[in-house]
Amino acid sequence: MNKSAPIVLVIDDEVQIRRFLRTGFELNGFIVHEAGTGAEAIRTLALRPVDLVIVDLGLPDMDGAEVVESVRAWSAVPLIVLSVRSSEAEKVHLLELGADDYVVKPFGMAELLARVKVALRRQSRAQSGEPIVRVGPLTIDLAARAVSLNDKPLTLTPKEYRLLQVLAQHAGNVVTHQHLLKEVWGSIHVHDTHYLRIFVRKLRQKIEANPNTPRILVTELGVGYRLAQSAVDPEAPAWTTADPSGVKSG
Amino acid sequence: MPQTAIFSKLRREMPGLLFTLGLVLATTAVIFAIIISVGLTRGSVLYIVPVMIAAIRWGLVPALFAAGLGVIASAYFFFPPLYSFTIRDPQEVINLLLYIFTAIVVSQLATRLKRQLELSRRREIEMRNLYAFSRRLAAAFASSDIHAAIEDHLATVMQHKVVVFPARDTMSGRPRRVAVPDAVRALVDTLLRGNPEPAADATVHDEAGHVWLVRAISPKSTEFGIIAVDMGRQTQAGLDQQRAHIAQVLDDANATLERLDIARAINEARMRARADQFIEALLGSVSHELRTPLASILGAATVLGAAPALARDRKLSALVNDVRNEAERLNDDIQNLLDATRISSNGIEPRNEWTDPADIINSAIERCRRRLKDHRLSLDVPPDLPLIHVDSVLVQQALVQMFDNAAKYSAPQSRISVRARVQDGQMVISVADQGLGLTAEEKARIWDRFFRGARHTGAAGGSGLGLWVAHAFIAANGGTIEAASDGAGRGATFSIRLPILAAALAELEGDADE
Repeated sequence: MNKSAPIVLVIDDEVQIRRFLRTGFELNGFIVHEAGTGAEAIRTLALRPVDLVIVDLGLPDMDGAEVVESVRAWSAVPLIVLSVRSSEAEKVHLLELGADDYVVKPFGMAELLARVKVALRRQSRAQSGEPIVRVGPLTIDLAARAVSLNDKPLTLTPKEYRLLQVLAQHAGNVVTHQHLLKEVWGSIHVHDTHYLRIFVRKLRQKIEANPNTPRILVTELGVGYRLAQSAVDPEAPAWTTADPSGVKSG
Repeated sequence: MPQTAIFSKLRREMPGLLFTLGLVLATTAVIFAIIISVGLTRGSVLYIVPVMIAAIRWGLVPALFAAGLGVIASAYFFFPPLYSFTIRDPQEVINLLLYIFTAIVVSQLATRLKRQLELSRRREIEMRNLYAFSRRLAAAFASSDIHAAIEDHLATVMQHKVVVFPARDTMSGRPRRVAVPDAVRALVDTLLRGNPEPAADATVHDEAGHVWLVRAISPKSTEFGIIAVDMGRQTQAGLDQQRAHIAQVLDDANATLERLDIARAINEARMRARADQFIEALLGSVSHELRTPLASILGAATVLGAAPALARDRKLSALVNDVRNEAERLNDDIQNLLDATRISSNGIEPRNEWTDPADIINSAIERCRRRLKDHRLSLDVPPDLPLIHVDSVLVQQALVQMFDNAAKYSAPQSRISVRARVQDGQMVISVADQGLGLTAEEKARIWDRFFRGARHTGAAGGSGLGLWVAHAFIAANGGTIEAASDGAGRGATFSIRLPILAAALAELEGDADE
């Protein structure tokens, strides 16, 4: 993330949504650009520096997927998609085209900001070449290929490490089943979701305090997995209105 | 021409005639044997036997042939003077005449019997075809199904390759791509455009030299479509005969079509297709037009709630919180309505994948975090549950519905228990609350669409669609869902049962380790 205020480009054809996003982002110290159409968005991206893009799928001139694709053709800027519920296949498709994450409409500002921060942090980590990813009590040193939990070294099998490594490279963002399967088992296994289920379970036994209610390696149903952002970002942000502490388990 | 016709008829009768000859020879041998062994003098009456057999097996011509042979053989072998065709005894002449008369009557009767047998067998086959046809018509939904049924029926009856081209505007469902020669296609197109006379049949030759007959199915209109029949290679004579046959079959088919009210069925199918399109359009626009403003309301409420100016004022932030909660509820109702419409209009197609049941439970809890925050949640999920092959999102939505119900109809701070177990080879996920419970009457009706118990209506808002949707989602995954309660005020337990594919599972556990 830049030292100065991060710049976000909001692409949405609905004025009301742009308006609340602008207010929400500005209250949290962002600079906001807006675009009502895909063409306008691409023009803005070419002309002005932008740290992050929020794109709504239903644009009047272009399919959201087209926007993602054309942006990804020449820019690595973090990209978050606003999508509608019950279309997991579409989410997976967009992630595969290069979107960093998605937020399901309707959504709260806190949820979106959390995703935005994760995406920005990942970007800055990628730029600085920082090899260490911290997720709550878990530390993954991508350079040394070493994993530790509460500062105690952890022994993982090569497959388990590879799985954790791919997730750590996208820490906080969702990684699709297909991507994980391709990276860990090879492209002929992209549909063997059960491999993932079994290895994720093994991995959770090693890294989670309570493997049954995972807090570090969380499931995005029908889409993939993510290293949880709540674990990435342990201090509760000032802007949280929803209270996630209400659910007790035991 | 008549000569060739007679010749061909004779060729057809030939096997029967040869067998008849054989039979008469055998009978002669038998009569000789009887005369030698028993000393019988008048055995010629036995010649009636080959006549009857020939009549029943091969029809009139071989029967008469057998009768003639019988006369000749009797005259030659058995009537004095022996071994000449002359007959001396007038008594024998009368016997012979009597024999000829009997033979003719018997062969007539036998042939009629044979014809009737054949007719009733053909009738039975026709009836069976017709029955199969009407059953298919009854099950037909789109007009393309009806046309496929007509096509198959006519192909069975005519014993030729038949292609039915539906009238343009009745096309619904998948477009049919049938390979027919270009010449046939062109002729069909002109007929579909309504010229020339729809009833007039025309023939076309394709590249392979096959003759195709093309005509409207019904002579009255092109409503039922155009039919093209591949009749193979044909001579002009064969063609005329076949053409008459096809006309007759089509007349029958038309009578059937009229009786089964196909025209109305086609119309209804067309209407249904339009209604489906309308529902699709409505769904699309409802989901967009209602949800877009909701997304703005909800988003704006969260921004307002977080704004420092409002956060300090307790009353105002409570109000903002209300806006947010109500907007979320509205969103859930819209989702239920959309799901219900989707279920009743085109059903659900689950996208099954291997899933950890614990993941489904955790995501459902995550989705209901805000709704459950005033309740005490207890989780009892063993760490070694088997994977299940389901559409995880549908099961999660059903589970969210269970949580939603539990939270709505039980007091704050009461306990909601989630439990997962393997039971009788099934995965059972249950959600138990300590709330309003269910009476026997309520329990019987909660799965009905739009049902809301009077007590429940008083307790909380809702559309009465949630459980119905949950039921449909679980059923689509091959599972069941049930409610149990000890009665009013004593809490309710909802259980989802999903199949475990034990055999497939054992295989999976093995091959992931490679």
